[in-house]
Amino acid sequence: MRSSISSFKERLRLPRLFFRKPSREEQIHGGPPLEFERPIPPAPWRGIAVVVTIIVIAATTAWELYCRSLGYGPTLNDNEDLWTLWRRRVAPESIVIIGDSRAWFDVDLDEFQKGLGKRPIQLAMAGSTVLPALADLADDKNFHGTIICSVVPYLFFAPPGTPPMERAEKGIKRFHNQTPAQRVSECLSMPLEEHVAFLKPDDLSLEAFLNQLPIPNRPGALVPPRFPPYFQTEDRERRARMWEKCAEPGSELAKKIQQIWIPLFTPPPPPSYVPKDVFFAQMNEGIQKRFADVTAAIEKIRSRGGKIVFVRFPNTGGLKELEDRITPREKTWDPLLKMTGAPGIYYSDFPELSGFICPEWSHLSAGDSVEFSKRLVPHLRAALKM
Amino acid sequence: MLFNSLTFVVFFAIVVTLYWSLHGWELRKNLLVVASYIFYGAWNPPFAALLFSTTCMDFWLGRQMAKAQGPHRKRRWLVASVCMNLSMLGFFKYGNFLLQNFQWSLTRIGIVYQPPHLDILLPVGISFYTFHSLSYTLDIYRGVLQPTRSLRDFVLAVSFFPQLVAGPIVRAGDFLPQLRHPPRLKAGQFFWGLALMTLGLFEKIVLADTLLSGSADRVFDYAGPLVALDSWAGVLAFAGQIFFDFAGYSICAIGAALTLGFHLKDNFRFPYAAIGFSDFWRRWHISLSTFLRDYLYIPLGGNQVRPFRAALNLVIVMFLGGLWHGAAWTFVVWGLLHGSYLVIERVFRVLFEAKRWASTLPVRVLAGFATYAAVCVAWVFFRASDFTIASRMLGGMFGQHPHGDAIFTTRELLQIGSVTLALIAMHWAMRDDTFETAVMRLPHWAITVIGAAMACAVIFTQGNSNAFIYFQF
Repeated sequence: MRSSISSFKERLRLPRLFFRKPSREEQIHGGPPLEFERPIPPAPWRGIAVVVTIIVIAATTAWELYCRSLGYGPTLNDNEDLWTLWRRRVAPESIVIIGDSRAWFDVDLDEFQKGLGKRPIQLAMAGSTVLPALADLADDKNFHGTIICSVVPYLFFAPPGTPPMERAEKGIKRFHNQTPAQRVSECLSMPLEEHVAFLKPDDLSLEAFLNQLPIPNRPGALVPPRFPPYFQTEDRERRARMWEKCAEPGSELAKKIQQIWIPLFTPPPPPSYVPKDVFFAQMNEGIQKRFADVTAAIEKIRSRGGKIVFVRFPNTGGLKELEDRITPREKTWDPLLKMTGAPGIYYSDFPELSGFICPEWSHLSAGDSVEFSKRLVPHLRAALKM
Repeated sequence: MLFNSLTFVVFFAIVVTLYWSLHGWELRKNLLVVASYIFYGAWNPPFAALLFSTTCMDFWLGRQMAKAQGPHRKRRWLVASVCMNLSMLGFFKYGNFLLQNFQWSLTRIGIVYQPPHLDILLPVGISFYTFHSLSYTLDIYRGVLQPTRSLRDFVLAVSFFPQLVAGPIVRAGDFLPQLRHPPRLKAGQFFWGLALMTLGLFEKIVLADTLLSGSADRVFDYAGPLVALDSWAGVLAFAGQIFFDFAGYSICAIGAALTLGFHLKDNFRFPYAAIGFSDFWRRWHISLSTFLRDYLYIPLGGNQVRPFRAALNLVIVMFLGGLWHGAAWTFVVWGLLHGSYLVIERVFRVLFEAKRWASTLPVRVLAGFATYAAVCVAWVFFRASDFTIASRMLGGMFGQHPHGDAIFTTRELLQIGSVTLALIAMHWAMRDDTFETAVMRLPHWAITVIGAAMACAVIFTQGNSNAFIYFQF
């Protein structure tokens, strides 16, 4: 007699996974039949493959040409694997540049090499906070070289869990845990990126295009600020140079980026789920802890004979006004130098370092970065007693 | 090595070219063994040695078991194999979890004990290859498989690179017979394999990583309360992400195996069109659910015991299934929830099976959506890193935070909604079909256009080589 359960299953087409004994075939083989063979849908697969390949090649070529017509050119992507490649090259007595994108754009490695006698290693990371890289060098017992550290207070004091901190930690994590496959991937992708313009995941990917759709947001939504589009090239030494298109005075691209910096550098409102006084107390505590952590890392490096100098690179326009207002020098830069006892170079303290115009308010053009680096070198030599 | 990386593209092109260029079958198998170990060692070379040693142990234990006279002796060798495999898994995957729980238990009875934190690196895919290997000794014990004489063949069966790190869980009994005779290169099979790999990469790179994962991460990483719309959107995004991520990997694995002439079984069969939870488990991660069924549920007595015991068996199986996914109580709760769902379904069946309305279309559709909703609720525990997040998410989903935050842009909500709707519609449209039959019905020009569109989307999306979710298991 058939059980009522099985007839019900039949009617509902319910499966029998947990309700049946294995079939005879399964009992014999411990699973479905051994002669299992996947069905292949009958189609002229060879012809389909040829046509698909032709379409893909044509579409990719068209896309590449379109991207180039928009002004994009082939350049390396700055990612954690490229960063790791250079982190691995840090020798015990290296000169290392760490910090944010200003050190990345504004430093010319050739000028530094001429002036400091050694080619520095560029480890500054766009939009990142400095502590993870500094702490990592401090924990590297072999390192007793020189650190040139850029300070943008809004990024320097970014709390844990925020994008600047996560970006920096990602690089460090990759350096310590990079797999052989990731190393090979980086070696393979570099030549590709140097020849193909559309390989820019932040600007020319599906996600980037979806982000740009002009769909109005619902009221009250907490929408994170956008990041600027590509406006630099990067070489294998991680030397960033601003696009000429952006460096042109009054260029549309520069104006667009200026308007992106303002919301990006404006502190977000306190979260709704934390009382304001608690939030601000936590922030202050976080800043004090950051001072303490940075000081401790510097102490470690100094104890091995290493040196560090902080540098405040130029900023201009509305961004300078904003930064001066939300992170005033007397509350950030001055206490940092006092607590760490490290030398510092604030660009506006020196006439020869002032007067540079940042086309998009935050970074120097490629040409200016060479001149600025040339002028910065004597100050670095003095600060580092070289 | 990730399927969605440039390294894999180059590696795979070299392996496939060499494989079909070589004439001797033994030579080809040797090539696959070397390729599989390079594939695995590309993550962490020392773990390849661990994989090799456990494989050798199981090979030897299998032979001893086959030689042993009498069930008691056989059982001894089986116990040795199970202990060896599970202790490896236990040490690497559950070591710290067990220590933490041991410490917690001691604290309950007033003993303060601070265990050392073991700095254990989890070998990628250990849960999968342990099960590949274990199926061999279990099947020899059950008398349904003869041990292979070739260590190389067994090593290949366990480490075959398409399925090595994230499944499907391929039993030795399914794979070893395919090593007897060399496959022939068939154009249809080869290109169909490439088509499946393209589909898998499309699911992973475009659908999971680009359209859904960011939204799911934002919701589950958000530290505050969220309104119901955003909470549900985040959970639906994760439900889609995990399907596309895991099914994408499985399809890639099946496709890669096909290009080399091997046949792996389906691991997914349109699970979000399941009507009921037993149906869901027949469609979701099929290789794991059938493994648990054959090696755990049936030995426990299956449903050939009294109803209460059968229900308990289901809960035990799902509890262990949950724990298999990860060393955290959230996974256990996820498993227990599914166990409870299965028991409730069984009770419903007993109560309502004879009712005529139970088989009407509206009830079936309603049951399907109820299944999907309940599965989504369970995903909260699967994705949340702790119970605080899980309870906050559930609170948001069930309207406890009417004044919570709204974090999604309108575009993100539309994106999640449209991908989810398309996913469910596709699953319902094909629920009684296989993927191959659905493709068979398409005109050739449509197959070409869809294939080209998916390949272009994969190239233009520029995935950021995110690891597959199931690698961590």
